[in-house]
Amino acid sequence: MSALAPAPWREPPIGLLAELTHRCPLGCPYCSNPLELVARERELSTAQWLRVLEEAAELGVLQLHLSGGEPTLRSDLEEIVARARALELYSNLITAGVGVSERRLEALARAGLDHVQLSVQDVDPEGCDRIGGFTGSLARKIAFARAVRRLGLPLTVNAVVHRHNLDRLERFVELALELDADRLEVAHVQYYGWALLNRAALMPTRAQLDRSVEIVKRARERYGDRLLIDFVVPDYYATHPKPCTSGWGRAVIVVAPDGRALPCHAAHTIPGLVFANVKDAPLRWIWQESPAFQRFRGFDWMKEPCRSCPRREIDFGGCRCQAMQLLGDPEATDPACALSPHHARITALAEAEAAAAPPPFRYRRLEPVPA
Amino acid sequence: MSFAPDDRLVLARGVRVRFDPVRNCHVLLAPERVLFPCPTSVEILGRLGEPRSFGALVAELAAEFDAPAEEIGRDLEALLSDLVAQRVVRVERRAA
Ligand code: SF4
Ligand code: SF4
Repeated sequence: MSALAPAPWREPPIGLLAELTHRCPLGCPYCSNPLELVARERELSTAQWLRVLEEAAELGVLQLHLSGGEPTLRSDLEEIVARARALELYSNLITAGVGVSERRLEALARAGLDHVQLSVQDVDPEGCDRIGGFTGSLARKIAFARAVRRLGLPLTVNAVVHRHNLDRLERFVELALELDADRLEVAHVQYYGWALLNRAALMPTRAQLDRSVEIVKRARERYGDRLLIDFVVPDYYATHPKPCTSGWGRAVIVVAPDGRALPCHAAHTIPGLVFANVKDAPLRWIWQESPAFQRFRGFDWMKEPCRSCPRREIDFGGCRCQAMQLLGDPEATDPACALSPHHARITALAEAEAAAAPPPFRYRRLEPVPA
Repeated sequence: MSFAPDDRLVLARGVRVRFDPVRNCHVLLAPERVLFPCPTSVEILGRLGEPRSFGALVAELAAEFDAPAEEIGRDLEALLSDLVAQRVVRVERRAA
Protein backbone atom coordinates (compact mmCIF):
# COMPACT_ATOMS: atom_id res chain seq x y z
CA MET A 1 0.00 0.00 0.00
CA SER A 2 1.21 3.48 -0.84
CA ALA A 3 2.46 5.69 1.96
CA LEU A 4 0.18 8.38 0.59
CA ALA A 5 -3.00 6.32 0.69
CA PRO A 6 -5.90 8.31 2.15
CA ALA A 7 -6.94 7.56 5.73
CA PRO A 8 -9.38 4.65 6.08
CA TRP A 9 -13.03 5.69 5.96
CA ARG A 10 -14.52 5.26 9.44
CA GLU A 11 -18.21 5.99 8.79
CA PRO A 12 -20.15 2.73 8.60
CA PRO A 13 -22.31 1.86 5.57
CA ILE A 14 -26.10 1.87 5.95
CA GLY A 15 -27.13 -0.60 3.30
CA LEU A 16 -25.97 -3.67 1.44
CA LEU A 17 -27.45 -4.26 -1.99
CA ALA A 18 -27.01 -7.98 -2.55
CA GLU A 19 -27.47 -8.83 -6.20
CA LEU A 20 -28.00 -12.52 -5.61
CA THR A 21 -28.32 -13.44 -9.26
CA HIS A 22 -28.57 -11.82 -12.65
CA ARG A 23 -31.02 -14.46 -13.82
CA CYS A 24 -34.51 -13.05 -14.35
CA PRO A 25 -37.65 -14.22 -16.13
CA LEU A 26 -38.25 -10.66 -17.31
CA GLY A 27 -36.19 -8.59 -19.71
CA CYS A 28 -36.97 -4.96 -18.90
CA PRO A 29 -35.21 -2.64 -21.33
CA TYR A 30 -34.29 -0.28 -18.46
CA CYS A 31 -32.78 -2.90 -16.18
CA SER A 32 -29.98 -1.43 -14.08
CA ASN A 33 -27.87 -4.57 -14.39
CA PRO A 34 -24.71 -4.30 -16.47
CA LEU A 35 -24.80 -5.24 -20.15
CA GLU A 36 -22.44 -8.07 -19.41
CA LEU A 37 -24.37 -10.23 -16.98
CA VAL A 38 -22.95 -12.80 -14.60
CA ALA A 39 -23.83 -16.39 -15.53
CA ARG A 40 -25.20 -18.80 -12.92
CA GLU A 41 -21.95 -20.78 -12.65
CA ARG A 42 -20.16 -17.70 -11.37
CA GLU A 43 -22.67 -16.82 -8.64
CA LEU A 44 -21.54 -16.82 -5.02
CA SER A 45 -22.46 -19.91 -2.99
CA THR A 46 -24.85 -19.88 -0.05
CA ALA A 47 -21.97 -20.06 2.43
CA GLN A 48 -20.27 -17.13 0.75
CA TRP A 49 -23.39 -14.96 0.93
CA LEU A 50 -23.95 -15.86 4.58
CA ARG A 51 -20.41 -14.79 5.33
CA VAL A 52 -20.90 -11.51 3.47
CA LEU A 53 -23.99 -10.83 5.59
CA GLU A 54 -22.03 -11.43 8.76
CA GLU A 55 -19.23 -9.14 7.69
CA ALA A 56 -21.76 -6.50 6.66
CA ALA A 57 -23.55 -6.57 10.01
CA GLU A 58 -20.23 -6.28 11.84
CA LEU A 59 -19.33 -3.31 9.70
CA GLY A 60 -22.55 -1.51 10.64
CA VAL A 61 -24.87 -2.30 7.74
CA LEU A 62 -28.49 -1.96 8.89
CA GLN A 63 -30.51 -2.77 5.80
CA LEU A 64 -30.15 -5.62 3.37
CA HIS A 65 -31.68 -5.28 -0.08
CA LEU A 66 -32.09 -8.65 -1.73
CA SER A 67 -32.04 -7.91 -5.39
CA GLY A 68 -30.97 -9.26 -8.75
CA GLY A 69 -32.03 -10.08 -11.39
CA GLU A 70 -34.76 -12.00 -9.68
CA PRO A 71 -33.58 -12.97 -6.17
CA THR A 72 -36.31 -15.58 -5.68
CA LEU A 73 -34.60 -17.71 -8.33
CA ARG A 74 -32.04 -18.53 -5.64
CA SER A 75 -33.37 -21.57 -3.78
CA ASP A 76 -31.32 -20.55 -0.72
CA LEU A 77 -33.18 -17.24 -0.28
CA GLU A 78 -34.95 -18.45 2.88
CA GLU A 79 -31.61 -19.30 4.43
CA ILE A 80 -30.22 -15.89 3.52
CA VAL A 81 -33.26 -14.11 4.96
CA ALA A 82 -33.08 -16.14 8.15
CA ARG A 83 -29.44 -15.22 8.62
CA ALA A 84 -30.27 -11.56 8.02
CA ARG A 85 -32.91 -11.74 10.72
CA ALA A 86 -30.52 -13.45 13.13
CA LEU A 87 -28.07 -10.61 12.50
CA GLU A 88 -30.87 -8.05 12.99
CA LEU A 89 -30.49 -6.77 9.44
CA TYR A 90 -33.66 -5.27 7.99
CA SER A 91 -34.38 -7.36 4.91
CA ASN A 92 -36.04 -6.03 1.81
CA LEU A 93 -36.95 -8.33 -1.07
CA ILE A 94 -36.88 -6.61 -4.46
CA THR A 95 -38.81 -8.82 -6.84
CA ALA A 96 -40.73 -8.89 -10.11
CA GLY A 97 -43.22 -11.22 -8.39
CA VAL A 98 -44.04 -13.43 -11.36
CA GLY A 99 -42.83 -16.86 -10.29
CA VAL A 100 -43.27 -16.79 -6.54
CA SER A 101 -45.91 -19.06 -5.01
CA GLU A 102 -47.75 -18.11 -1.84
CA ARG A 103 -46.05 -21.06 -0.12
CA ARG A 104 -42.64 -19.71 -0.97
CA LEU A 105 -43.60 -16.24 0.21
CA GLU A 106 -44.90 -17.71 3.43
CA ALA A 107 -41.58 -19.47 4.00
CA LEU A 108 -39.77 -16.18 3.43
CA ALA A 109 -42.06 -14.39 5.86
CA ARG A 110 -41.44 -17.11 8.41
CA ALA A 111 -37.70 -16.73 7.92
CA GLY A 112 -38.13 -13.12 9.01
CA LEU A 113 -38.46 -11.05 5.84
CA ASP A 114 -39.24 -7.43 6.72
CA HIS A 115 -40.50 -5.85 3.52
CA VAL A 116 -41.35 -6.59 -0.10
CA GLN A 117 -40.80 -4.29 -3.04
CA LEU A 118 -42.68 -5.39 -6.13
CA SER A 119 -41.93 -3.97 -9.56
CA VAL A 120 -44.97 -3.22 -11.71
CA GLN A 121 -43.94 -2.47 -15.29
CA ASP A 122 -47.33 -1.11 -16.34
CA VAL A 123 -50.92 -1.08 -15.09
CA ASP A 124 -52.09 -2.08 -18.53
CA PRO A 125 -51.74 -5.89 -18.95
CA GLU A 126 -50.46 -5.64 -22.51
CA GLY A 127 -48.08 -2.85 -21.66
CA CYS A 128 -46.81 -4.82 -18.68
CA ASP A 129 -46.11 -7.86 -20.86
CA ARG A 130 -44.48 -5.78 -23.56
CA ILE A 131 -42.11 -3.94 -21.23
CA GLY A 132 -41.06 -6.97 -19.23
CA GLY A 133 -41.13 -9.32 -22.20
CA PHE A 134 -43.18 -11.82 -20.20
CA THR A 135 -46.71 -13.01 -20.97
CA GLY A 136 -49.43 -12.75 -18.32
CA SER A 137 -47.20 -10.80 -15.94
CA LEU A 138 -49.64 -8.26 -14.47
CA ALA A 139 -52.17 -10.80 -13.19
CA ARG A 140 -49.35 -12.71 -11.49
CA LYS A 141 -47.98 -9.56 -9.93
CA ILE A 142 -51.36 -8.61 -8.54
CA ALA A 143 -51.88 -12.07 -7.08
CA PHE A 144 -48.41 -11.87 -5.55
CA ALA A 145 -49.10 -8.44 -4.04
CA ARG A 146 -52.30 -9.73 -2.43
CA ALA A 147 -50.40 -12.65 -0.94
CA VAL A 148 -47.83 -10.22 0.47
CA ARG A 149 -50.54 -8.26 2.23
CA ARG A 150 -52.39 -11.40 3.35
CA LEU A 151 -49.22 -12.41 5.15
CA GLY A 152 -49.11 -9.01 6.82
CA LEU A 153 -45.88 -7.94 5.16
CA PRO A 154 -45.43 -4.29 4.23
CA LEU A 155 -45.48 -3.66 0.49
CA THR A 156 -43.91 -1.13 -1.82
CA VAL A 157 -45.06 -0.90 -5.41
CA ASN A 158 -42.15 0.16 -7.57
CA ALA A 159 -43.19 1.87 -10.79
CA VAL A 160 -40.41 2.65 -13.21
CA VAL A 161 -41.92 5.24 -15.52
CA HIS A 162 -41.03 6.34 -19.08
CA ARG A 163 -42.66 7.48 -22.29
CA HIS A 164 -44.71 4.28 -22.73
CA ASN A 165 -46.47 4.14 -19.36
CA LEU A 166 -46.41 7.70 -17.98
CA ASP A 167 -49.81 8.53 -19.34
CA ARG A 168 -51.23 5.92 -16.97
CA LEU A 169 -49.56 7.22 -13.82
CA GLU A 170 -52.88 7.98 -12.09
CA ARG A 171 -53.76 4.33 -12.47
CA PHE A 172 -50.50 3.30 -10.83
CA VAL A 173 -51.58 5.31 -7.80
CA GLU A 174 -55.01 3.66 -7.86
CA LEU A 175 -53.46 0.22 -8.13
CA ALA A 176 -51.14 0.87 -5.19
CA LEU A 177 -54.12 1.96 -3.08
CA GLU A 178 -56.18 -0.99 -4.17
CA LEU A 179 -53.37 -3.40 -3.28
CA ASP A 180 -53.11 -1.78 0.15
CA ALA A 181 -49.46 -0.92 -0.47
CA ASP A 182 -47.62 1.14 2.12
CA ARG A 183 -45.37 2.87 -0.37
CA LEU A 184 -45.36 3.73 -4.02
CA GLU A 185 -42.09 4.48 -5.70
CA VAL A 186 -42.50 6.46 -8.89
CA ALA A 187 -39.08 6.36 -10.46
CA HIS A 188 -38.32 7.89 -13.80
CA VAL A 189 -35.82 5.69 -15.63
CA GLN A 190 -32.20 6.34 -14.74
CA TYR A 191 -30.07 5.91 -17.81
CA TYR A 192 -27.41 3.34 -16.98
CA GLY A 193 -26.74 -0.14 -18.30
CA TRP A 194 -29.63 -1.41 -20.39
CA ALA A 195 -31.56 1.83 -19.94
CA LEU A 196 -28.77 3.80 -21.60
CA LEU A 197 -28.87 1.39 -24.51
CA ASN A 198 -32.64 1.98 -24.74
CA ARG A 199 -32.63 5.67 -23.92
CA ALA A 200 -34.31 6.85 -27.11
CA ALA A 201 -36.99 4.19 -26.67
CA LEU A 202 -37.77 5.33 -23.13
CA MET A 203 -37.16 9.08 -22.85
CA PRO A 204 -40.35 10.98 -21.91
CA THR A 205 -41.19 14.44 -23.17
CA ARG A 206 -40.87 17.42 -20.86
CA ALA A 207 -44.68 17.68 -20.91
CA GLN A 208 -44.97 14.07 -19.69
CA LEU A 209 -42.52 14.79 -16.91
CA ASP A 210 -44.34 17.95 -15.82
CA ARG A 211 -47.62 16.06 -15.73
CA SER A 212 -46.09 13.33 -13.59
CA VAL A 213 -44.88 15.93 -11.10
CA GLU A 214 -48.44 17.29 -10.87
CA ILE A 215 -49.99 13.84 -10.47
CA VAL A 216 -47.61 12.90 -7.69
CA LYS A 217 -48.25 16.19 -5.92
CA ARG A 218 -52.00 15.72 -6.05
CA ALA A 219 -51.80 12.08 -4.99
CA ARG A 220 -49.66 13.03 -1.99
CA GLU A 221 -52.19 15.65 -0.93
CA ARG A 222 -55.05 13.25 -1.32
CA TYR A 223 -53.66 9.97 -0.05
CA GLY A 224 -50.65 11.08 1.96
CA ASP A 225 -51.98 9.54 5.15
CA ARG A 226 -52.34 6.10 3.56
CA LEU A 227 -49.64 5.91 0.96
CA LEU A 228 -46.09 7.19 1.11
CA ILE A 229 -45.03 8.25 -2.38
CA ASP A 230 -41.38 8.54 -3.34
CA PHE A 231 -40.56 10.26 -6.59
CA VAL A 232 -37.39 10.16 -8.68
CA VAL A 233 -37.19 12.70 -11.52
CA PRO A 234 -35.29 12.02 -14.73
CA ASP A 235 -31.75 13.40 -14.64
CA TYR A 236 -31.76 14.80 -18.14
CA TYR A 237 -34.48 17.32 -17.32
CA ALA A 238 -33.28 18.06 -13.78
CA THR A 239 -31.83 21.31 -12.44
CA HIS A 240 -29.72 19.72 -9.74
CA PRO A 241 -28.29 16.23 -9.93
CA LYS A 242 -29.32 13.53 -7.50
CA PRO A 243 -26.92 12.68 -4.67
CA CYS A 244 -26.33 9.33 -6.28
CA THR A 245 -26.34 6.50 -3.70
CA SER A 246 -26.09 9.33 -1.12
CA GLY A 247 -22.54 9.93 -2.25
CA TRP A 248 -19.84 7.57 -3.53
CA GLY A 249 -18.89 5.11 -0.81
CA ARG A 250 -20.91 6.89 1.85
CA ALA A 251 -23.98 4.76 2.40
CA VAL A 252 -24.18 1.63 0.25
CA ILE A 253 -22.18 -1.37 -0.83
CA VAL A 254 -23.34 -3.28 -3.88
CA VAL A 255 -22.22 -6.88 -4.15
CA ALA A 256 -22.68 -8.33 -7.63
CA PRO A 257 -23.68 -12.00 -8.15
CA ASP A 258 -20.04 -13.01 -8.64
CA GLY A 259 -18.90 -11.26 -5.45
CA ARG A 260 -17.46 -8.06 -6.84
CA ALA A 261 -18.12 -5.18 -4.43
CA LEU A 262 -18.97 -1.76 -5.89
CA PRO A 263 -19.99 1.65 -4.54
CA CYS A 264 -22.93 1.72 -7.00
CA HIS A 265 -24.25 -0.69 -9.57
CA ALA A 266 -22.87 1.26 -12.53
CA ALA A 267 -19.41 1.85 -11.04
CA HIS A 268 -17.84 -0.77 -13.32
CA THR A 269 -18.37 1.65 -16.24
CA ILE A 270 -15.61 3.89 -14.89
CA PRO A 271 -12.33 2.78 -16.44
CA GLY A 272 -9.28 2.29 -14.28
CA LEU A 273 -11.09 1.24 -11.11
CA VAL A 274 -10.38 -2.20 -9.72
CA PHE A 275 -13.18 -3.72 -7.66
CA ALA A 276 -12.22 -6.21 -5.01
CA ASN A 277 -14.18 -9.43 -4.66
CA VAL A 278 -15.70 -10.50 -1.34
CA LYS A 279 -14.21 -13.93 -2.02
CA ASP A 280 -10.68 -12.52 -1.75
CA ALA A 281 -10.89 -9.51 0.57
CA PRO A 282 -12.65 -8.69 3.84
CA LEU A 283 -15.67 -6.42 3.39
CA ARG A 284 -14.27 -4.08 6.04
CA TRP A 285 -11.13 -3.47 4.00
CA ILE A 286 -13.16 -3.08 0.81
CA TRP A 287 -15.35 -0.44 2.47
CA GLN A 288 -12.75 1.44 4.48
CA GLU A 289 -9.63 1.25 2.37
CA SER A 290 -9.99 -0.21 -1.10
CA PRO A 291 -8.93 2.35 -3.72
CA ALA A 292 -12.20 2.02 -5.70
CA PHE A 293 -14.32 3.01 -2.68
CA GLN A 294 -11.90 5.77 -1.68
CA ARG A 295 -11.70 7.20 -5.19
CA PHE A 296 -14.52 9.78 -5.01
CA ARG A 297 -14.87 10.28 -1.28
CA GLY A 298 -14.40 13.76 0.13
CA PHE A 299 -14.13 16.77 -2.15
CA ASP A 300 -10.49 16.85 -3.28
CA TRP A 301 -11.12 15.06 -6.56
CA MET A 302 -13.67 17.67 -7.65
CA LYS A 303 -13.26 20.16 -10.47
CA GLU A 304 -15.08 23.44 -10.94
CA PRO A 305 -17.92 24.32 -10.73
CA CYS A 306 -18.44 21.65 -8.01
CA ARG A 307 -15.26 22.37 -6.08
CA SER A 308 -16.41 25.81 -4.92
CA CYS A 309 -20.16 25.11 -4.95
CA PRO A 310 -22.05 25.13 -1.63
CA ARG A 311 -24.28 22.31 -2.84
CA ARG A 312 -21.36 19.89 -2.98
CA GLU A 313 -22.22 18.79 0.56
CA ILE A 314 -25.73 17.92 -0.61
CA ASP A 315 -25.25 16.20 -3.95
CA PHE A 316 -21.51 15.44 -3.99
CA GLY A 317 -21.32 16.71 -7.56
CA GLY A 318 -23.90 14.23 -8.78
CA CYS A 319 -23.26 10.86 -10.35
CA ARG A 320 -19.72 9.83 -11.33
CA CYS A 321 -20.95 7.18 -13.72
CA GLN A 322 -23.14 9.65 -15.55
CA ALA A 323 -20.26 12.13 -15.88
CA MET A 324 -18.24 9.25 -17.34
CA GLN A 325 -20.94 8.04 -19.69
CA LEU A 326 -21.95 11.41 -21.08
CA LEU A 327 -18.69 13.36 -20.90
CA GLY A 328 -16.02 10.69 -20.75
CA ASP A 329 -14.68 12.22 -17.52
CA PRO A 330 -15.64 10.71 -14.17
CA GLU A 331 -14.43 13.80 -12.30
CA ALA A 332 -16.60 16.25 -14.21
CA THR A 333 -19.72 17.85 -12.80
CA ASP A 334 -22.68 15.57 -13.52
CA PRO A 335 -24.24 17.13 -16.65
CA ALA A 336 -27.65 16.70 -15.00
CA CYS A 337 -26.65 19.85 -13.07
CA ALA A 338 -27.74 23.15 -14.61
CA LEU A 339 -24.35 24.59 -13.65
CA SER A 340 -22.53 22.11 -15.88
CA PRO A 341 -21.43 23.70 -19.17
CA HIS A 342 -22.84 20.59 -20.90
CA HIS A 343 -26.28 20.69 -19.35
CA ALA A 344 -28.07 22.39 -22.26
CA ARG A 345 -26.70 19.84 -24.69
CA ILE A 346 -27.95 16.94 -22.55
CA THR A 347 -31.41 18.43 -22.19
CA ALA A 348 -31.59 19.08 -25.93
CA LEU A 349 -30.59 15.47 -26.54
CA ALA A 350 -33.42 14.26 -24.31
CA GLU A 351 -35.93 16.53 -26.01
CA ALA A 352 -34.87 15.36 -29.47
CA GLU A 353 -35.09 11.68 -28.49
CA ALA A 354 -38.47 12.14 -26.86
CA ALA A 355 -39.81 13.96 -29.92
CA ALA A 356 -38.76 11.24 -32.37
CA ALA A 357 -40.64 7.96 -32.84
CA PRO A 358 -39.40 5.40 -30.28
CA PRO A 359 -37.03 2.73 -31.65
CA PRO A 360 -37.84 -0.88 -30.68
CA PHE A 361 -36.74 -2.15 -27.25
CA ARG A 362 -33.50 -4.03 -26.86
CA TYR A 363 -34.49 -6.43 -24.12
CA ARG A 364 -32.15 -7.35 -21.32
CA ARG A 365 -30.67 -10.77 -22.01
CA LEU A 366 -28.04 -12.94 -20.40
CA GLU A 367 -26.24 -13.37 -23.73
CA PRO A 368 -23.88 -10.51 -24.55
CA VAL A 369 -25.31 -7.74 -26.75
CA PRO A 370 -23.78 -7.27 -30.16
CA ALA A 371 -22.17 -3.83 -30.38
CA MET B 1 -52.31 16.86 16.15
CA SER B 2 -54.23 16.01 19.30
CA PHE B 3 -55.20 12.61 20.64
CA ALA B 4 -58.29 11.37 22.44
CA PRO B 5 -57.78 8.97 25.36
CA ASP B 6 -59.14 6.04 23.36
CA ASP B 7 -57.10 6.72 20.20
CA ARG B 8 -54.93 3.68 19.73
CA LEU B 9 -51.31 4.01 18.70
CA VAL B 10 -49.06 1.40 17.17
CA LEU B 11 -45.79 1.18 15.23
CA ALA B 12 -46.41 1.59 11.51
CA ARG B 13 -46.15 -1.54 9.38
CA GLY B 14 -42.57 -2.53 8.69
CA VAL B 15 -41.03 -0.38 11.42
CA ARG B 16 -38.41 -1.93 13.67
CA VAL B 17 -36.36 -0.29 16.43
CA ARG B 18 -33.11 -1.85 17.60
CA PHE B 19 -29.89 -0.99 19.31
CA ASP B 20 -26.91 -0.68 16.99
CA PRO B 21 -23.67 -1.57 18.74
CA VAL B 22 -21.55 -0.15 15.89
CA ARG B 23 -23.03 3.36 16.13
CA ASN B 24 -23.77 2.92 19.82
CA CYS B 25 -27.34 4.23 19.56
CA HIS B 26 -30.84 3.08 18.71
CA VAL B 27 -31.88 2.97 15.10
CA LEU B 28 -35.32 2.92 13.55
CA LEU B 29 -35.58 0.77 10.45
CA ALA B 30 -38.40 1.10 7.94
CA PRO B 31 -38.80 0.40 4.23
CA GLU B 32 -36.04 2.40 2.51
CA ARG B 33 -35.52 4.48 5.65
CA VAL B 34 -33.14 4.58 8.56
CA LEU B 35 -33.76 7.10 11.35
CA PHE B 36 -31.95 7.80 14.58
CA PRO B 37 -34.62 8.40 17.24
CA CYS B 38 -33.88 10.40 20.39
CA PRO B 39 -33.87 8.51 23.74
CA THR B 40 -37.39 9.72 24.59
CA SER B 41 -38.74 8.47 21.26
CA VAL B 42 -37.00 5.13 21.82
CA GLU B 43 -38.72 4.92 25.22
CA ILE B 44 -42.15 5.50 23.64
CA LEU B 45 -41.63 3.46 20.48
CA GLY B 46 -40.64 0.48 22.60
CA ARG B 47 -44.15 0.48 24.08
CA LEU B 48 -45.97 0.52 20.75
CA GLY B 49 -45.27 -2.96 19.40
CA GLU B 50 -48.93 -3.71 20.13
CA PRO B 51 -51.67 -1.07 19.82
CA ARG B 52 -52.00 1.03 23.00
CA SER B 53 -54.54 3.69 23.83
CA PHE B 54 -53.27 7.20 24.35
CA GLY B 55 -54.95 7.33 27.76
CA ALA B 56 -53.31 4.13 28.99
CA LEU B 57 -49.93 5.32 27.76
CA VAL B 58 -50.24 8.62 29.61
CA ALA B 59 -51.31 6.88 32.82
CA GLU B 60 -48.46 4.37 32.55
CA LEU B 61 -45.81 7.03 32.01
CA ALA B 62 -47.21 9.31 34.71
CA ALA B 63 -46.99 6.48 37.22
CA GLU B 64 -43.57 5.33 36.10
CA PHE B 65 -41.96 8.76 36.06
CA ASP B 66 -43.98 10.08 38.95
CA ALA B 67 -45.10 13.16 37.02
CA PRO B 68 -48.48 14.91 36.60
CA ALA B 69 -50.57 13.23 33.90
CA GLU B 70 -51.37 16.58 32.33
CA GLU B 71 -47.74 17.39 31.75
CA ILE B 72 -46.94 13.92 30.42
CA GLY B 73 -49.97 14.14 28.13
CA ARG B 74 -48.77 17.42 26.64
CA ASP B 75 -45.23 16.16 26.00
CA LEU B 76 -46.43 12.85 24.66
CA GLU B 77 -48.85 14.55 22.28
CA ALA B 78 -46.07 16.67 20.79
CA LEU B 79 -43.77 13.69 20.39
CA LEU B 80 -46.43 11.39 18.95
CA SER B 81 -47.61 14.05 16.49
CA ASP B 82 -44.11 14.13 15.12
CA LEU B 83 -43.83 10.34 14.92
CA VAL B 84 -47.21 10.10 13.21
CA ALA B 85 -46.28 12.83 10.73
CA GLN B 86 -43.13 10.86 9.94
CA ARG B 87 -45.30 7.77 9.43
CA VAL B 88 -43.42 5.84 12.05
CA VAL B 89 -46.47 5.48 14.29
CA ARG B 90 -50.01 4.85 13.12
CA VAL B 91 -53.18 6.07 14.88
CA GLU B 92 -56.25 3.88 14.99
CA ARG B 93 -59.29 6.03 15.66
CA ARG B 94 -62.70 4.78 16.49
CA ALA B 95 -65.04 5.88 13.68
CA ALA B 96 -66.92 9.00 14.82
S1 SF4 C 1 -35.52 -4.58 -14.05
FE1 SF4 C 1 -36.76 -6.18 -15.04
S2 SF4 C 1 -35.23 -7.45 -16.07
FE2 SF4 C 1 -34.07 -6.21 -14.60
S3 SF4 C 1 -33.99 -7.49 -12.80
FE3 SF4 C 1 -35.80 -6.19 -12.55
S4 SF4 C 1 -37.50 -7.41 -13.38
FE4 SF4 C 1 -35.60 -8.36 -14.09
S1 SF4 D 1 -22.02 22.41 -9.44
FE1 SF4 D 1 -21.57 20.40 -8.62
S2 SF4 D 1 -21.92 20.59 -6.41
FE2 SF4 D 1 -22.88 22.40 -7.37
S3 SF4 D 1 -25.02 21.77 -7.67
FE3 SF4 D 1 -23.92 21.27 -9.58
S4 SF4 D 1 -23.28 19.11 -9.30
FE4 SF4 D 1 -23.85 19.91 -7.27
